Amino acid sequence: MLEKLISIIEEQLNVEGMEITESTSFKEDMDADSLDLFDLAMAIEEEFGIEIPSEDLGNITTVGSVVEYLKSKGIEE
Amino acid sequence: MKTRVTEILGTEYPIIQGGMAWVAEHHLAAAVSNAGGLGIIGAASAPAEVVREEIRKCKELTDKPFGVNIMLLNPNAEEVARIVVEEGVKVVTTGAGDPAKFMPMWKEAGVKVFPVVASVALAKLMERAGADGIIAEGMESGGHIGHTTTFALVPQVVDAVHVPVVAAGGIADGRGFAAAFMLGAEAVQMGTRFVAAKESIVHPNFKEKIFKAKDIDSTVTGMSTGHPVRCLRNKMSKEYLRLEKEGADFMELEKLTLGSLRKAVIDGDVSNGTLMAGQIAGLVKKEMSCREIIEEIMGQAETLLGEKR
Repeated sequence: MLEKLISIIEEQLNVEGMEITESTSFKEDMDADSLDLFDLAMAIEEEFGIEIPSEDLGNITTVGSVVEYLKSKGIEE
Repeated sequence: MKTRVTEILGTEYPIIQGGMAWVAEHHLAAAVSNAGGLGIIGAASAPAEVVREEIRKCKELTDKPFGVNIMLLNPNAEEVARIVVEEGVKVVTTGAGDPAKFMPMWKEAGVKVFPVVASVALAKLMERAGADGIIAEGMESGGHIGHTTTFALVPQVVDAVHVPVVAAGGIADGRGFAAAFMLGAEAVQMGTRFVAAKESIVHPNFKEKIFKAKDIDSTVTGMSTGHPVRCLRNKMSKEYLRLEKEGADFMELEKLTLGSLRKAVIDGDVSNGTLMAGQIAGLVKKEMSCREIIEEIMGQAETLLGEKR
């Protein structure tokens, strides 16, 4: 799942080649603004077939937080 | 002119006034509503009880529908969200944040909700949250902006959602109105043109800056902090951009702009205040009443759209 997620992040935020770990922050390390994060959320929804309610978006700050979120939705792969 | 937006709002014309902080108070809102558009009271960061007073004063001046703009990231948002329901306000436009948690309360009270968005993804999210319409705001607008132009953003949002779309940013006359409709919008929202309206309480010095502005006289500050703001170029914007270029941190920049919009709007300090206005300021040449503005725009637009049909 992490691999899939990283490839979405790379594509959405144009950070190919960057070392991405679970502690990587979207805002601080990848210069993403709020519009980028909404776009990323839509792409994650599409890939994993889930719906992320907008009130959950505030919790998504690092790659690891997305991993945790997806796990909480029962997505392991 | 009837569109899905006029049906939802209960207005004669599909024209919405922007919810500009400090500017969008009850005199302006009532004048726009009385002229057949939708006036908006901008709650911005005002104390909630002040917003309630504004709503009540607006009701004294008009029996037509009007709305309230709520900046959802402001600490007052929760209280203002409740006050609009208590006061029977018909329409809410929202900015800077997520209205989802207020939706059930507003829906139950019959309040129509039009979030202002700057991207397709956000428009889709807002539609899913229950928005009645979407205000797609291009970066030509004054104040806080996104990255995409109205011309590019509106048709993409129109294609992405089923609810009607209101175009905002760069519209100040009947040509802009007609162009927005060609892009698929069913209403327009205008800020700058109304900032300079006769009924607007904005200081004459600020209005004069708009009338004198040329096409290239606006600039964007705060690009580096992730909170871009469009305003007319002056001493203040120059200073801000200089500090920004030198790598000043967010807090330092914030300190510079603290209270600066009020300085411009209320005190008329056009050197040290922030003159929030859109790129279309160059097209706004003279002070007219809201009724004159709306009738002129509708006359032009109906001719243009009639020709195209």
